[in-house]
Amino acid sequence: MQHIVKYEPTFSMLQVSLAPGETIIAEAGSMVARSASLSMEVKLNAGKNAGFFGKMKAFFIAIIRKIVGGETFFVNHFSSPQGGWVWLAPSLSGGIRPIQLAGNSMIFSAGAFLASAGDIDLKMRWGGLRALLAKEGAFFVEASGNGQIFVTSYGAIDEIQCNGSYIVDNGHIVGFDSSLDFKIRSGGGGLLGFMASGEGIVCEFTGQGKILIQSRNTSALVDWLTPMLPP
Amino acid sequence: MQVNLLYRPSQSLAQCWLQAGESVVAESGAMVGMSTNVQMQTQSGGLMKGLKRLFGGESFFRNTFTAQGGQGEVLFATPLCGDMAVLDAGHKQWCIQSSAYVASSPSVDVKTKTGGFKGMFSGAGLFMLETSGMGQVVIGTFGALEQVQVDGSMVIDTGHLAAWESTLQYKVGKSGSGWIASFLSGEGLVCHFEGQGTVYLQSRNAAEYGSTIGGLLPPREQ
Repeated sequence: MQHIVKYEPTFSMLQVSLAPGETIIAEAGSMVARSASLSMEVKLNAGKNAGFFGKMKAFFIAIIRKIVGGETFFVNHFSSPQGGWVWLAPSLSGGIRPIQLAGNSMIFSAGAFLASAGDIDLKMRWGGLRALLAKEGAFFVEASGNGQIFVTSYGAIDEIQCNGSYIVDNGHIVGFDSSLDFKIRSGGGGLLGFMASGEGIVCEFTGQGKILIQSRNTSALVDWLTPMLPP
Repeated sequence: MQVNLLYRPSQSLAQCWLQAGESVVAESGAMVGMSTNVQMQTQSGGLMKGLKRLFGGESFFRNTFTAQGGQGEVLFATPLCGDMAVLDAGHKQWCIQSSAYVASSPSVDVKTKTGGFKGMFSGAGLFMLETSGMGQVVIGTFGALEQVQVDGSMVIDTGHLAAWESTLQYKVGKSGSGWIASFLSGEGLVCHFEGQGTVYLQSRNAAEYGSTIGGLLPPREQ
């Protein structure tokens, strides 16, 4: 599989060419164009080796996600015996970053996943209250295995090396190494800081690993836009 | 008419230089600025033509800008952030997705064309524009523009189509193997192209962008 990301960082588009028999799994609705040789198959976004119960779990999570967040829970598998190409793009303005996994695992906020190829297992993980407060949705996606994944953002993607600890504002997390631990806390400055700084809740990461952040924040856009709309 | 495209690809602005007496036709609302010697005239080109455009997701009226007594300049832009391109009509003719049309030389006839019954569901293909005559057409897109040479066949999401050469055969259809699969795939409808020719793609889909942002906004109070 060969890939190239064009038009970074605002209108990024991923162009992938597949060798015969290779498959790329992409988020529903992300296809821009494809060669006619490729076939597209819709599948429920369950784990790779999920059994019946795993699939049931994925299905229930899918329904909850659909109700809670209105996110898509189907993925499209693109492949063909003779190979071909497919182009993918996210719906908002932002970047695309290819990440190579070699046995390690990473955790992504639910909207960040664009595509994966190779021996990658994607699992939906309940993020709990901290994920909700961090404005990353109730679920995280955990990716593990060997292969290539592609994540997207709203805004540009920056990679931060966390040595010990690092703080990221809520809503700006794209993903992080699963070796890192994170908790939510106040941004500092006491009660006034919590209420008035606009940085009320932040995420503090501890450990060694990399964090991907996005330079824009969807909920900040929504908060800005909402009062502008006519009643 | 000489067209310069400024601030590409995100914030493109089309700067059109007109000779004395020369005109340019544009989508209503596309004008950003103009010299004072440029005169604007609003025309629908007839009731039926206007209505057809209205159904096609365009505006009822189009404006004609004419430079009077000397050179003049007119600036055009699109509502969303994105790239622009100038298409030459003449030995090649173009089909343009109606929302991508910005401006054209008056010598080019830009007609609304129905996409047929299938196109009705596409959101993009119900009405499109087809050029005839000689001159230039300015298109504006949402996102970056990618120029692709179709040689054989290709499948493109209807929401990402900007313009294509009218020599290409196309068919709007479902994206997957069945209608349910196509619905779940989130790709909506796709356009199957056959033949040889150029296609302009936009890297973002306006309808998808709208539903993504719209889904996050609080519901309107009734």
